[in-house]
Amino acid sequence: MRKLYNKILPYILLLPMMILMIALVYYPIAVTFSYSFKRMKLTRPDDIEFIGLKNYIDVLRSEDFLYSLQNTVFLLIVVVILTTVFGFAVALILNREHRLSGLFLAIAILPWAMPPIVNGIIWKFIFFPGYGFVNKLLIALGIAEKPIDWISDRFLLLTVVSIVTAWRSAPFCGIVCLAGLKTIPKELYEAAAIDGCGTLSSFRYITLPLSLPFIGIGMTSASVTAVNIFDEIVALAGFSDTGKNLLIQNYLTTFSFLDFGKGSALTYVIMLLTSAIGVFYLRSLNKEITY
Amino acid sequence: MKKRSVITALFFAAAMSLAACGSNESAEETTAAAAETEAAAETGGADTEETEAEETEAAEAEGAADDLTGVELTMMVPDWGNPGEELLKRFEEETGCKVNVTEVSWDDIRDKVSIAAVGGQAAADVFEVDWSWVGEMNSAGWLEPIEMTAEDIADEPTIETFTIDGKILALPYANDYRIAYYNTEHFEEAGITEAPETWADVEAAMKAIKEAGICEYPFSMPMGAEEAGTTSLTWLAWAKGGVVFNDDGTLNKDSVLDALTFENKMVTDGYVDPAMRTATGMDCYNKICSGETSFMVGPTKFVNFISDPEKTAEDVLGKIEPILLPGTDGVSDRTMPLPEAYGVSAYSENKEAAITFVKWLNSAEIEKELYLANGSIPNRNSVIAEMIEDGTIKTPGAMLEQAELIKSPFPNGVPDFYAEMTNTIYNNVNSMVLGDQTPEEAFDAMDAKIKELLAQ
Repeated sequence: MRKLYNKILPYILLLPMMILMIALVYYPIAVTFSYSFKRMKLTRPDDIEFIGLKNYIDVLRSEDFLYSLQNTVFLLIVVVILTTVFGFAVALILNREHRLSGLFLAIAILPWAMPPIVNGIIWKFIFFPGYGFVNKLLIALGIAEKPIDWISDRFLLLTVVSIVTAWRSAPFCGIVCLAGLKTIPKELYEAAAIDGCGTLSSFRYITLPLSLPFIGIGMTSASVTAVNIFDEIVALAGFSDTGKNLLIQNYLTTFSFLDFGKGSALTYVIMLLTSAIGVFYLRSLNKEITY
Repeated sequence: MKKRSVITALFFAAAMSLAACGSNESAEETTAAAAETEAAAETGGADTEETEAEETEAAEAEGAADDLTGVELTMMVPDWGNPGEELLKRFEEETGCKVNVTEVSWDDIRDKVSIAAVGGQAAADVFEVDWSWVGEMNSAGWLEPIEMTAEDIADEPTIETFTIDGKILALPYANDYRIAYYNTEHFEEAGITEAPETWADVEAAMKAIKEAGICEYPFSMPMGAEEAGTTSLTWLAWAKGGVVFNDDGTLNKDSVLDALTFENKMVTDGYVDPAMRTATGMDCYNKICSGETSFMVGPTKFVNFISDPEKTAEDVLGKIEPILLPGTDGVSDRTMPLPEAYGVSAYSENKEAAITFVKWLNSAEIEKELYLANGSIPNRNSVIAEMIEDGTIKTPGAMLEQAELIKSPFPNGVPDFYAEMTNTIYNNVNSMVLGDQTPEEAFDAMDAKIKELLAQ
């Protein structure tokens, strides 16, 4: 009896969470999947019918999809690079022990704690096309004569969005990397120093390889953030075509144009694309570290 | 290992998609503030047929005579649509019906209403209905028709906007229509003593003001990739060419292309601040209050702003005058309405009570109270006239005269594909003013998309 109880107990304990997950996660995912095979525009309530893969074909063929995919890939690459470089740099700085370490750590975390929309609005004032902070600074320094319109050009806008997003996501990457740096045994550095290893060599052969799994976590997080950028783009450029990524295209299709069929198909296309990123990262994380 | 990676990756992807949903929710709130500016017009056929049996209902609404004791209503509106504690309490005292208001950001309301409707539920008994949503909400069957008297309909030209196929689908609470504003001091300094009556007058005035160095960017007009970009093109074509859409729903080429060409010329001639090409509508409108521009066509609420020392710069106070929209041969005989309304959910379990409440809010007496409570400009011309006369509305200029010229630019009502159409229009207008397209190219892109939507 006791044996049976012990066997069942874990499942009983898991049950409430399973019910919640099924009701709030798996059921909506399944329903969305079924919508993706239907012609389902809310303004045509009498015209809902099964149309097979047509929504997927329409989505993949549409220019809007390709355009927003390009923007998403650009954002993904730039945000991951900026987040990783700045995050790791912050970790290296914070890893140096001194009296103000705690204060610096708190300051470094602040942008991460900021809601994306607040982040977007703050940066909107900084990059305001008229006399925003950056334009005023550039004019005062004599670098620019007239205000620069930061958000009218596609790639300039995407670069600004990337900077704004990286500013928010770098602290988390930094904290994860800092945790990794703290786990590296000091003895390794001492042994390396005895062997005549300099600062750069220690970084190259000890710090960097041992930090890779943590950098990987930071990059994964940055990727999730980059694919999910929404608030920053909307705050900076609204729903303009110029800066729209897949998420904004999905929002417009589903909630603005009320096309739940195509919107659901697009959701699944995005899901498959992000799966590819997932596979890439998981493979990288599973690699054995040699040093 | 490989299998495990793929499975984990799928979960990773699912997590990303779910996170994306969360992101949407919060971001919708973002745009709400910016969206405050918008509201507009349309429909055809405010039929006078359904007049008879309605008188009883109107009488009920006036006095809110129904006994609705014990009924509780839910209301979902943006902050500026909240009638306020005092009015809600008064309605409860008169009818016994309690109304619980939830303030939700403007475009978040539309999402909540649509998501609830997919499940056959009412997001709220009474909710905000913007003029631009009425077409799709009608097609989707989310709104309960409301009956009004012919007298009410005649007094409230904006009701036409919410009327489709003779059915009134929502009752306006915030009247907004386009009216022109000009800085009398700038014009006088440039030697112009008369208010502009035609768009040619406006262009000549802009040239004179800029050349005299009085104002660097004398013309202000929303041109960004947002709703205000579409409404600006619409009112310009409406006032200038007298038509925007043909009877078959397609764009009228002569009128719209002429408006696009004018808009583009204002930019290329340097009369518009280049920053306004990517700024919000409100940023453009506020320039008249700060003295940074000399002429604009904007929302009715600026009639109040221009006499408010908190909204208008000290050296500009008293120098801005609201005037009739210019036209081609003289002042235009029309303007575009952009009202906001209260609608009753077709899924509501308290439809009768909700209709009584909405009609009560729409009554002449309460419209005036509503103006005092939250600044909503009344929809009834009789109330506007009364408030101008008793001094409640200061510096009205041509406000009442303009209100009498309200006409919808949509001959068949606001189309149910409006959201998709406006997205195409404002993106092409924006692309044109940024120099990426000519007016002809912008028109062709809009025209092709609208024809495609009509064909669907």
